[in-house]
Amino acid sequence: MSLDPDSVDEPPPRERPYLSVTGDGGRDEDVDATVSGLRPYLLTSGRAEPVDRTLEIEAQVQTVHLGDGLSFEYREIVELCTVAMSVAEVAARLKLHIGVARVLIADLAAQGYVIVERPDLPAHDANLIERVIRGLEAIR
Amino acid sequence: MDLKPSVKPRRPPVPVKIVIAGGFGVGKTTAVSSISEIRPLTTEAAITSVAAQIDRTGEVPAKVATTVALDFGCITLDDSLKLYLFGTPGQDRFGFMWHDLAHGALGALVVVDARRIDDCFPAVDYFEKVGLPFVVAVNLFDGELIRDLGDLRWALAVDAGIPLITFDARDRISVRDALLAVLRHTRSRIER
Repeated sequence: MSLDPDSVDEPPPRERPYLSVTGDGGRDEDVDATVSGLRPYLLTSGRAEPVDRTLEIEAQVQTVHLGDGLSFEYREIVELCTVAMSVAEVAARLKLHIGVARVLIADLAAQGYVIVERPDLPAHDANLIERVIRGLEAIR
Repeated sequence: MDLKPSVKPRRPPVPVKIVIAGGFGVGKTTAVSSISEIRPLTTEAAITSVAAQIDRTGEVPAKVATTVALDFGCITLDDSLKLYLFGTPGQDRFGFMWHDLAHGALGALVVVDARRIDDCFPAVDYFEKVGLPFVVAVNLFDGELIRDLGDLRWALAVDAGIPLITFDARDRISVRDALLAVLRHTRSRIER
């Protein structure tokens, strides 16, 4: 499976056959899909791109170094991640835009305050799938 | 760099994820809640104002205010493996979010409300396009299927190889089985 960001950013406008899609199918051209409720620049010193912009939202963040002198938004993350959690959880718990969380975490990782456990990709590994199946089957 | 002794780092679990997609109000968050070990979390809605305009809940009652948000939960499968479930609004205008969600996912569960199946089309189209294995799951809100599954498959225009199942998003075991259907489908695609 290949997921090329350039080719998949815009799902195709194709409508599936046999049904009339109500209205305009959810498209209207005058709405800016890129509008953001929160401009990330204030928290990230003007950067919108993380150091490592590929950091997955499910990647696990684990603090290894409680640094002194970190600014507030970094310190919050370092304190939170003494228990490993995902990038998405950090964003949700600290009420950060997910893009902001990604930038800050990537910064912390680059400076050695946290380690990041990224998913094994490609994820379509038969052994991995089997482990997940067994884990789910154990749920009662 | 001198390491402070106050934190003893342990290797975090390897994260895996399954995407739960579908239209607004079809039960994605309910499904995540039913099986997640944490209360589902929501990341900041980046495009709430847009969402308000395109949410066509129409005849679907009891979900009026909708925000565009990423709801997610997780299940610790063992010491070294953690499954994340990301629920996403399946609207084609949120394309920028889709890549983040689908990249590296084990598969996807497309949740369908049989009363308005066209809401799931953007998700189905997207997963077909990127080749992410998916299962279509009709959420039985009140325990009964309004349409025949054969009719539904025809209306959805999904390939005969795509599993079409029913489930109850409120029921933990039912959600577990729907996720297992996704994983088995992914496994069968690997074996092919």
